[in-house]
Parts: sequence; C-alpha cells; structure tokens
Amino acid sequence: MSCPHAIADLKPRPLLRLRAHPLKIALVGNPNVGKSVIFGRLTGRYVTVSNYPGTTVAVTRGRSTVGAEVCDIIDTPGVNALEGPVTEDEQVTRDLLQGGGAELVVQVADARNLRRALMLTSQLADFRLPMILVLNMIDEAHARGVDVDAEGLSAALGIPVIEAVAPEGRGMAELREALATPAGARAAKDHGLSHLEWAEDTARQFRTVGQFSLGRFQEWLGGAVRQPLTGLPILCIVLYLTYLFVGVFGAQTLVGLLENGLFGTYLNPWATAAASYIPISAARDFLVGEYGLITMGLTYAIAIVLPVVTTFFLIFGFLEDSGYIPRLAIFSDRLFRAMGLNGKAVLPMVLGLGCDTMATMTTRILATPKERLIAILLLALGVPCSAQLATIMGILGGISFAALVTLFGVVLTQMVFVGFLASRVLTGDRSDFIMELPPMRLPRFRNLMTKTVLRVRWYLGEAVPLFLVGTALLFVLDRIGGLAWIAAAARPLVSGVLGLPPKAAEIFVMGFLRRDYGAAGLFLMARNGALTHVQAVVALTVMTLFVPCVANFLMIVKERGLRTSLAILSFVTVIAVGTGAVLNAVLRVLHVSF
Amino acid sequence: MSASNFHPLSQLRPGARGRIARVTRDLTSRAERLAAMGVTPGATVTVLQTFPGIVFECDQTELAIERMVARCILVEVE
Repeated sequence: MSCPHAIADLKPRPLLRLRAHPLKIALVGNPNVGKSVIFGRLTGRYVTVSNYPGTTVAVTRGRSTVGAEVCDIIDTPGVNALEGPVTEDEQVTRDLLQGGGAELVVQVADARNLRRALMLTSQLADFRLPMILVLNMIDEAHARGVDVDAEGLSAALGIPVIEAVAPEGRGMAELREALATPAGARAAKDHGLSHLEWAEDTARQFRTVGQFSLGRFQEWLGGAVRQPLTGLPILCIVLYLTYLFVGVFGAQTLVGLLENGLFGTYLNPWATAAASYIPISAARDFLVGEYGLITMGLTYAIAIVLPVVTTFFLIFGFLEDSGYIPRLAIFSDRLFRAMGLNGKAVLPMVLGLGCDTMATMTTRILATPKERLIAILLLALGVPCSAQLATIMGILGGISFAALVTLFGVVLTQMVFVGFLASRVLTGDRSDFIMELPPMRLPRFRNLMTKTVLRVRWYLGEAVPLFLVGTALLFVLDRIGGLAWIAAAARPLVSGVLGLPPKAAEIFVMGFLRRDYGAAGLFLMARNGALTHVQAVVALTVMTLFVPCVANFLMIVKERGLRTSLAILSFVTVIAVGTGAVLNAVLRVLHVSF
Repeated sequence: MSASNFHPLSQLRPGARGRIARVTRDLTSRAERLAAMGVTPGATVTVLQTFPGIVFECDQTELAIERMVARCILVEVE
C-alpha cells in the first residue's frame, strides 16, 4: 500500500516524548464502522463486535504501546452528530471529548460513506484536538465501486489518512506509525462553510463512484429479508432453525447428556459418596442434600442452563454478525409505534433474548426518555433471556407446540398491552423511525467463536455464583422453617389463584433471584411429574413475566434510579401474578390440557 | 426541468431514483438527524421498498424510515 499521509511525513518524528501519564487516544466515528475491531487490534483486548449500530454504548479503555510510548486507547459509542440534539450514547462521546478525556482523536470512517464521515470530521475538528482519519472497510468500498483519493484527502485536511480493513489487520501498522504524527484538521470553519457544504465539496473532490455490481448473493439476500413476501417466510425459517438448535439439540440432547450422564451417573453419586465421610449431617446436606450446592446449584447451572445458553449464544452471535437483526425493524416498526416506540426498539428487544441486563444498557440508543423507559419496562416484563428460554423450551418442548405458542402468545399480548398503556400514560414523545441497515455479511468464524466463548465465560462468572448463593439461601430457609412458612403463606395465591402445587412457592422465591433459576426448578418439577401440563404453562408464564434477575434490577436502578425501578418491580409482579390467574382460569374453564 | 419532477420520497415507487432537492425543516430535530445520516440536499437516492416501511439507498447507505419522515424529503426524480 502506498503511504497516504503525505503531509505528516514532512515533519520530523520525535522518538520519545516524556509524559506524566499515558497518551489518551479516542476512537470516534459513525455507528457500525468498526471502532471496536480497531480497538481490539490496537490493544489486544476483545470488546463485543457485531454488525449493527449500538453494540458499544459505554466507553471501553485499553492499554497499547506505540513505538516506545504507552497509550490509553478509548473505544467510544458511535455518533452521528456531535452538535445539536444528540442521543444518550452520543452524549457519552461528546462529554469525553469536551472534558479533556482524549488528547488525540482517531476518527474511524466507513470508506463507502465519505460524505457522512466528513460531516463528523468537520465537527470533530472544532474540538481542536490532533486527529487521524482511518478509512475502514476499504475493501467493501472498492467492491461497490467507491474509490477515495486518500493522499489528496490527507493533503486537504492536513491530517494523516489511512486506508484499512481492520478485521484482516490491513492498515494497522500504518495507523500505529501515524499515531506519532497527528495534526489539527482543516475543515468547514477554516473555509467559512457549514459542515454540510464542506463535507459535500470535499467528498465530491476526493471520491469517485463507479458502477457497482448488483446481483451479488449478499445484495439479493439483503433485499429478500426485508421484503414481506420473502422476509416473513425467512423469519419463520430462522425461528424454526433456532428452535431446533437451541430447543431440541441444546435443551434436550445436550441437557440429557450432561444431566443424566455427567451429573446423574458420575458427579452426584461421587459427591454423595465423598460427602458421606463428613461427620456433620447439616454440612453434608449443604453440599449434596435436597438443596445441596452440588446436587442442586451446580446441576441447575451446568447441566440444565449451560448447554442451552451456549447453543443460543452461538446462533445469536451468528445472527448479530450477519446484519439480519436490524432488518427486522422494518416489519416491527408499526407494532412498536403502537407501544410508543419505533422499529429501532427491535435491537434492545432481540438483544434481551441474550441477556436482559445488557439489553437494558442498550436502550441508550433510543432517542427519548419515554422510549427508553418503555423499552426497559418491556424488557423486564416480557423478554425471556437465553437462560430462561432454555428452560422454557426444555419444559414446553416436551409437552407440545401448542403449549409453547400459548406461553409466547400470552407474553407477547401482555407486552403489547402494557406498551400500549404505557405509551398513553407516560408523558413525552416518540422519536422518528430513521434507521441505518448494515450490509449483510457472512459472519467471521473467529469473531463468532471469541464472542460465544466470552459470553459463556460471562455466564459462568455471573450466573453460576448467583445460583450457588440462591441454593445456599434456600438451604438456610429450609433449615429454619422459612420455606414451609413461605409455602403456607403463599398457598392461597399459589395454589388458590394460580392452581399450582404449594412447592411452586419455593420456586418463585428462587425466581426472584434469577428467573432462569426458578425456571430450572420448574423444569425438574415438571419432569418428576409434579406439574400437570396446564400448571407448567401457567407457572412458566408467571415466571417469564417476572423481573429477570437481581442483576437486571440493579441495572435498571443504575439507568433510571431507585424510585422508577421499584415502581417497575411492583408493577411487573402484579401483572405477572394477575396474568397467571386469568390464564389459569381460562385454561380450566376451556378444559385445555395441551 | 418541470416542477412535476419533484416528489416527496413517500410517494415514490420502488426502483425510483433521483436527487434530494430539499429536506423540510420543522420544530423537531428531524432534518438534523437525517443530515447526520447523510440525507441532505444533493445526495442521490434509490427507493428499494415501500411496504411495510420505506427503505431507500442514500449514497452508499441503506436506510429504513417511516412514512411521516419520508414526506419531509423532497426528491427530484431522474
């Protein structure tokens, strides 16, 4: 590759500067241009990379050495604009630049979209920080017939301009070199133009757009998934394949292998045998009893939930990287509008299927406070996370397809109903639906694996300890007679209103800690024949409508404050129990048995 | 060029191509938000789909918008 930064090369390069602290370098750019990939390349740290805008909603920092210098690299959420009205994640980036959090700005741009990138360059130049411009995805730009004169652009802006294909590491050596010679950019202000006029002029001058070849498979697929006639069948196929992979292969085949094989045949009998040497019976029960850390806690976490979570993360990561999920926004826009949101909300909602806690953070990509509040409420109310989907599919998959449809039907109806009410009760506005659709791409195997491993590790680190704490809590409650007391106290509600066996009360206690933990309890009850089919559907529906887990609740507190969170918690609980009661009554009156 | 060549984006059929002539400014920040995505006068557009939402290509970006927003974008059709 030719050396594009002509101007920068004229200056002598300092070998080493002495600093009191590491040089702070911010990666800034439009959404979905590959900032996180470059961050990973520079620091060796992996941050979640996906093919849709809004993957990064908070800043991430990492260390890197450039030459002999130590640098702090800062990955920022994507921004469309830094002036005028901005969204919450754009504000994060603006604050960083304004507050002296960065000494050098590396603007990452999608080479196909030079004009848009330059609008941002011009706004960034106003912060008067030394800059470098990286034209990323230059290969895709070339494939679409877009050619950029990087040398000319570098001369016009007065800053290094680097062509890159970050996932392949192309241009990274040049970027490292250029980090030593950034400069202040000449942009709109210096020519007395508006950002728009300047970007328009400059883009026209240095970019040539040739004929690009349509009819490629990618282009065709990108079109097919958003047209109703082809897109809806494709959606059904995607859902069905997901069900086969997660619900059948993960929740039945793999769970069977781990639970009956690994835990049932080996671990639990061994642990019980080993524990028989412990002289104190309470300690023995604590490990291998009915509420034992190994026989209950670990079995739930590793044998029941882990296989499903892993299979789900795999397929979910694939869909994320393919660029498919944002296209669902086109179909769902009207529905979301009825709930005071717009199609963009499909991103946090689908992400919620992975983890509601993460998704609660992603609501920052929504434009108005009202939208964010409604999205957080709906996530807490209805969107089951991967771990919980696991148990739902495990239990209901074994009963009948109609049972699955009933549960999801009820939960979806409830979400639409609550969203509809919330959009009318809450004050504020909904924002326009304007959304960028990323190109469809074949996911890279390595990114998919790294992401899945990272998420599974996160599950093991975050959820498993909670399972163990929950088990310990149950053990203690059981010993001091608390469980019996709760079961007796909740009996009118659990048995009377919901028509469930009294033991289900314990499971709801677990459900308060983590819904999937409670659901795993239901899974075992259902398999031991302690639940009828109708009871299983009712219990799971109530569990699904609960607040997901303690972590999710804490995240809501962090994002929206304690008062709002408590209001959401009590509202959701009332809705959950109320819906369960109505569902139970209806199913019994109609004599449904699945 | 006759005036009848100017149409709001919301009225164009799939396959229509043209250049953006004007983006109506109102009291909301709609025009600014569109500008940040590259939807500004002079940009070339191709309509890809009109149902259930409007999808169009603006320069090299594929954008999905609702009808109400599309009404504010005036296109000079080729």
